[in-house]
Amino acid sequence: MKTTVIGAFPKVSDEPSGQQLRTGLHKHDRGEIDDRALDQVYEATTRAAIAELEQAGIDVLNDGQIRWDDLFSPFARAWKNVQRGPLERYYDNNTYFRQPVVSGPIASDGNTVTADLTLARSATQREVKGAVCGPLTFATLCIDEHYRSLEKLTLAVADAVAAEVAGLGKAGCTLVDIEDPAIVVHPQHIELAREAYRRIARAGVPIALQTYFFPADRVLESLASFPVAQVGLDVRSRDTTVLRRLDAIRERTIVLGIVDARNTRLETEREVASLIEEALKLVPQERLWVAPTTGLEYLPHDVATKKLAALVSGARAAGGVPA
Amino acid sequence: MSDVLLTTTVGSFGKPEYLQKARNARARGKLSEAELLELERKATTEWIRAQEEIGLDILVDGEMYRGDMVAYFAERLEGYTIGGLVRSYGNRYYHKPIISGKISRPKPMTVEWFQFTQSLTDRPVKGMLTGPYTMLDWSYLESYKTRRDAALALAEVVRQEAEDLQAAGAKYIQIDEPAIHARPEEIAIAIEAMGVVTQNLTAKTVSHICYGDFAAIYPQVLDLPVDRLSLAMSNYGYRWLDLFERHPYTKELEIGIVDVHKHELESVEEAAAGIRKGLRYVTPEKLLPHPDCGLKTRPPEESIAKCRVVVEAAKLVRKELAAVPA
Repeated sequence: MKTTVIGAFPKVSDEPSGQQLRTGLHKHDRGEIDDRALDQVYEATTRAAIAELEQAGIDVLNDGQIRWDDLFSPFARAWKNVQRGPLERYYDNNTYFRQPVVSGPIASDGNTVTADLTLARSATQREVKGAVCGPLTFATLCIDEHYRSLEKLTLAVADAVAAEVAGLGKAGCTLVDIEDPAIVVHPQHIELAREAYRRIARAGVPIALQTYFFPADRVLESLASFPVAQVGLDVRSRDTTVLRRLDAIRERTIVLGIVDARNTRLETEREVASLIEEALKLVPQERLWVAPTTGLEYLPHDVATKKLAALVSGARAAGGVPA
Repeated sequence: MSDVLLTTTVGSFGKPEYLQKARNARARGKLSEAELLELERKATTEWIRAQEEIGLDILVDGEMYRGDMVAYFAERLEGYTIGGLVRSYGNRYYHKPIISGKISRPKPMTVEWFQFTQSLTDRPVKGMLTGPYTMLDWSYLESYKTRRDAALALAEVVRQEAEDLQAAGAKYIQIDEPAIHARPEEIAIAIEAMGVVTQNLTAKTVSHICYGDFAAIYPQVLDLPVDRLSLAMSNYGYRWLDLFERHPYTKELEIGIVDVHKHELESVEEAAAGIRKGLRYVTPEKLLPHPDCGLKTRPPEESIAKCRVVVEAAKLVRKELAAVPA
């Protein structure tokens, strides 16, 4: 069993020393620092996030997505015929994103997020995974002015995602999170999603399909046959039967979101350990990873740190797991 | 004051630069509370004069004394603590409050501001509150067992505040629920909580809803126990009106006819077209044009220009309505 994280890590903290990115961006807006200077702030903040994840004892890290304004922003900026549009609320969060606007055939050079991955890999000895936005989530939340068909749009996004996954693979990445909460929001599109993941799988890099915010109850069996190496399941955000049905997923690693990344209430070591023990009744420990439910950026930095500690200590305390 | 197509706004206006500076200075302890209060009153007075000059019918205090619409109340309620910084979007952060104990209201939170503002003008001023469901949804929850329990506890303190506003003379009380569609499966909780808030009110009640999938809660939202809904429409290309085609809209409607998240100014004709769209579903007595949302993110001069368009568009359509023989 391994511990991991999903999504974005808090970019700032309430400590005076933890405001560098926020003030750096303000200075950049006012023209007081140039792109290169801002880049250095991003890099320093990314290194700090990685160091913190490492220190907390997380086994498989990501780069903290420090440059991401939202799940789509890096891709909406880089992909051909995609712009960043109006602000919209991101699911049931008081967090907002810019809707991507698709104005023509989407195309990607596949290098959108490779630089951060390379930086992250140079900053730690531990395994670092990449991340790309999910095709169904992108397709259901963007403004489509070109394809005029959810199916065509989703598959076009999937091809661009596949290019990103291939690019990350070339950069040395051995696992890529595809963050796709829409799969559990819109279970009616599960077969369209499956086709999209077939295309992404052709990139030849192991994929972790990360769902969150909503329970996977209605699609669990379908997810079990997706062409992915890992399936991420949030078992804390809402009532769910998933925890009792984990044996539906075979031959794939389950990334279980067991620490609530959207509420400040801290889980005790025992609570976390109990959830893991329950999962281990249905999943062998070599196929179980544990994580926060989603990106820790929904929490203030100090709480995010405590949540990581709760995750790691709970995982170590769980019965049946070698220390 | 005309009695059809009364114009209003959603609640907040931009803070003038001197007030922003003063708030920063206060946060650093370089300005006293009394000094800040004086500037907040000055800015409120300026916004009242501006609204009168623009010709709006139902005024607001502009929320010069508030930062965030949830944090303002959270800071004044027992049972809340203020958490660390969380990003809302881009490079914008806020202190997301934590429901950490038993919620209660030690004293009124907005009544003095209402009294002050109403004393400045003969036109009606709306009392402005954040609804219990949004208070819940935009807070972390640590201390109540269920979200419903917390929503009902919050409803009780919002009820107390609303009744105090009514006792102070408020003819209109707005109880905003912009988070109402965050979890459509919880609409019954939002409705139950609002029922607690408005149960004893005789004032006209209105609830503003924006940013999200209104279709997901329609028509259930018609059971929200308020007289009016206030909806962003222009920003959504008036697509929510199509829902009224399928299931009749039964409340009064404050309709957003100018987009508050873009700099470009709509033409009067464009805004008037929005009012006419609304008139297909709501009678002129029950239709109140306004900007889509609060104007606090817009520079004051832009807000004034947007409000002028609303007022001029209402005048234009009123004329058209008057030209129709009885």
